[in-house]
Amino acid sequence: MPRHSKGNLILGICVLGFSVLLLAVWIPMDTDSGLILEVRRQVIIGDALAPTVASLFLLVGGALLVSVERKSMDQPGLSARDMAFVAGLVGIVALSLVVMRHAGPLAVALFAEETAEYRLLRGTAPWKYIGYFLGGTMMIIGMVALVEGRIRLRILVIAAFAVLAMIVLYDLPFEDLLLPPNGDV
Amino acid sequence: MGTLDYIWMGILAVFQGPELFSVLGLPVSVTLVMILAGFLTGIAVGATPGLAGPIAMAIALPILISIFGYTPDALLPVMGFLIGVMKGATIGGAVPAILFNTPGTPDAYMTTLDGYPMTQRGKAGKALRVAHFASASGDTFSDIVLIVCAPFLALLVEAYLDLPEKTALLVLSLSFIAAVIGGSPGKGLISIGLGLLAVYIGTGEDFYPRLSLGTQELSRGFPISTAVLGVLIIGAVLKELQDLWRQKRTIGDVPDYRENGDQRLYWADIRRLMPFVGRSALIGTAIGALPGIGSTLAATLGYTVGRRRYAKVKRPDAPEWGEGASEGIVATEAANSSVSGANLIPVLSLGIPGNAAAVFLILAAESIGGFNPGPSVFRFTEDAVNPELVVAFGLFTAMMIANLMNWTIGGLFMRSMGVMIRIPKHILLPSVLLLTLTAIYVQETRMEAIWFAMGFGVLGYLMRMLGISPLPFVIAFILGGKLEESARQAFAATGGDPWFLFTSPVAALFMAASVAVIVLTQRKPAQTHPRERT
Amino acid sequence: MQRFVKAGITALGFAVLATGAMAADWTPPGPIKLLIGFHAGGGADTQARLIAEELEQRLGWEFVPEQVTGKGGLNLANALKDAPADGTTIGMAVTETLGYNMAASRTNMTPADFTGITTTAGFQMGIVSLSSKGWKSFDEVIAAAKDGAELRFGVMTPKLADLAYLLSKAQGVEFNIVSVKGGKAVMDGVNAGDLDLGFMAGIQAKGVAAGDLVNLASALSEPLEQTPEAPTLKDLGVDYNADGYFVFIGPAGMPEDARNAMASVIGDIVNDPETKAGGLIKKTFGGATTISGEELTKMLASDYDLAGGLLEAASK
Repeated sequence: MPRHSKGNLILGICVLGFSVLLLAVWIPMDTDSGLILEVRRQVIIGDALAPTVASLFLLVGGALLVSVERKSMDQPGLSARDMAFVAGLVGIVALSLVVMRHAGPLAVALFAEETAEYRLLRGTAPWKYIGYFLGGTMMIIGMVALVEGRIRLRILVIAAFAVLAMIVLYDLPFEDLLLPPNGDV
Repeated sequence: MGTLDYIWMGILAVFQGPELFSVLGLPVSVTLVMILAGFLTGIAVGATPGLAGPIAMAIALPILISIFGYTPDALLPVMGFLIGVMKGATIGGAVPAILFNTPGTPDAYMTTLDGYPMTQRGKAGKALRVAHFASASGDTFSDIVLIVCAPFLALLVEAYLDLPEKTALLVLSLSFIAAVIGGSPGKGLISIGLGLLAVYIGTGEDFYPRLSLGTQELSRGFPISTAVLGVLIIGAVLKELQDLWRQKRTIGDVPDYRENGDQRLYWADIRRLMPFVGRSALIGTAIGALPGIGSTLAATLGYTVGRRRYAKVKRPDAPEWGEGASEGIVATEAANSSVSGANLIPVLSLGIPGNAAAVFLILAAESIGGFNPGPSVFRFTEDAVNPELVVAFGLFTAMMIANLMNWTIGGLFMRSMGVMIRIPKHILLPSVLLLTLTAIYVQETRMEAIWFAMGFGVLGYLMRMLGISPLPFVIAFILGGKLEESARQAFAATGGDPWFLFTSPVAALFMAASVAVIVLTQRKPAQTHPRERT
Repeated sequence: MQRFVKAGITALGFAVLATGAMAADWTPPGPIKLLIGFHAGGGADTQARLIAEELEQRLGWEFVPEQVTGKGGLNLANALKDAPADGTTIGMAVTETLGYNMAASRTNMTPADFTGITTTAGFQMGIVSLSSKGWKSFDEVIAAAKDGAELRFGVMTPKLADLAYLLSKAQGVEFNIVSVKGGKAVMDGVNAGDLDLGFMAGIQAKGVAAGDLVNLASALSEPLEQTPEAPTLKDLGVDYNADGYFVFIGPAGMPEDARNAMASVIGDIVNDPETKAGGLIKKTFGGATTISGEELTKMLASDYDLAGGLLEAASK
């Protein structure tokens, strides 16, 4: 791990900033009852107290980083290149999820009878597999290709088989399990 | 209903559960088969670099719940499988460490130091046998300690701790976990704080879902599986893929060292190794009983203590420490294996999980329902049967059965797992990611859950890159609800006493200890032990 | 009378089944998503799943159960409200969700946003304590409180907290009202000694029968089936009660045939103690209560209207 001697300091400042934001803005604006409140002539703990405790953990943690642990041996490091790579991975997953969500309904709109609705066909093969198969295959190929730096036909076959295996694993034996995205549509 | 009745019912619950098939007229219960299946899966998964027990548990859980349903009858088969995985992965992790110098699980790193040199000398078979012996011994010892201690601890807690003390105990365990995991109390506290914050979003007593920013999506809060699997598994997958990409390392030819000579383990070996096993098992069990410290530190400590003893007792012709001494393998494996049983002591008696495997056992119990790990499990009711107690003794039985399997077939199966190294990690990991997302979806049946899980995955990745251990996050996420609930109840029950955490001596002691543990770990900044990264 | 008619309908149903035709002339157009507003593994969750299982077996309908817990059922209501009203999404909640909880929350939902299908069982809501506490009647609890004992009263919903508060006011004592998550948690708290007494909606039946627990009062408008001699809330000076039912609901505007078909098949199952679901209901609640159709719509609306009074009274 590359050593940024200011890593802990920067991280600590960010965490401190976030916890102040939580304490001063988010928690007071976005909870209904305060730290404590009186109902039925009894004082009880309100909804804001627990998140406040959570932010205090962050506050103390951040304070330790900028003070005592500022010069400790173990300093975090993030490189822009690594971040870009992982952003690419997450982007591929996100894109595949969009395909997974919409491929089925699109196929039904294009190829099924006029009156058919994907929602009512979500328990019926082959419609129920379209989105999962396409999106899942795309996810695996995309990630492997990003790591390898090239796209290979062999990977496509492996990915398709892996997704088929998952369908066999989760869907075939169980009637009441829904593969993504069939619970939403 | 006496104690013995309960123990007997627990044993029967395992053996007499729903019958799957019969062998020679003897019925074989489904729980037994599930323990075996979990055990074998665990060995295979542990032996595969890049996979680990928790991944197998995460993927298996929704499938198991679909098979067995949401009834109390499902508890033993499902949790039996998970226990099997936990134990199998513990011994499986040593296989690639010894054969290929690649630890399958982080806690097997020290095993490579003496294991791989033995392989290079043609003693791979013996090294695996030694590792298996040490691992099985440590594990069994630890389980016995668990079975003896957990009920007593639970009874003590239930008898002496009232609502305020229970709240203070939760605070103490969170602060302890923050202090000990990862060697940076500051980052541990941040991890805990983020975990608490995440679990408090969308929950609460008011009808308005707090911190939901007025959105529908956040108003139901984050499902526990998205947070746990996201941070622990998806985060690890992203990090691993990045490392693979960075190294551009393809699995080249694995060097093939022929075994030569006698690979058997003799009584003389065992007698020579036993002192090392014993020490390490004690260290591992003691560490395991404290939530959050984890098997990697146990392995490091066991190895260090073993080295000191080895210097005293080493025969002149024996290999140097770190150059292929069986004692080195034993010292590591006995220590890291004896963590797993003891780690369930805080889970079963207090409901506080200390490691990833325990997190998944709690996740299983919560998903199925009918079993709430915590002190109320060990209520030895006289008239009516306490079904949770039967389950607890059933779990103990399952652990002992898994140990028996470990002693009998574990070694053989383990030695056949060398092939797992050849699975290309960079293809395996994306499949694991998709499997994990699918596992989450079939339980939650909404795309939001997948998006949440990816979000937590990115968080888990960033935490790993910033040197923040993700385990405190997960433990805080699990305990956060309990913490708030018991604080509310304690506050209301004491009639709104603002000092409820400090008025009773026990609670005040716990609170003082929570502060002390952070301050004390702060005073020695140079923590050098490796971080536990699941 | 109602039960008699119900039995007749059930018998008729069997006769029709026997001739080979399916009981309902309505069939769902696709798989039915069943939202369950209770934590997995609890009694209510089991009840919902058993009913769905039985329906799958009897009629071949396909159910996909999904847990939507939290906020006293309002999360479920929210998820259900905008679902298509063709019978492919239904939910199981308690009547309190559509009554008190909707009235007390700031969400704009009312019972009119939903179609009541049928209730399955009424709560046997009692005020319960450990028998080892030595209290034989509720009066002795009040006497203890007046002697200065600080009593912890466990409740699992805001409505019950209000009732506990009104009860303490009516009796001139003070309770430390402790909210916990679910009836099981009240029972655990009482058993562990963390709570002195509390509301339980039916899970106390086994403990009361075994003599470990005691029903001190009925929180219903009627006496409890198991302990008829215990006073009701009205006897103790509280004008409100905890009458409530498990209820299947759908989004507003469900077609009549779908609503009636579902109500009748679910009614058949829960009224038949031979089924797993019916057996569970018999054991826990003493038998099924199936209110459906117009009667249910009226009940839900009036629960909602009455909640305002309780909220008002408890805020003083």
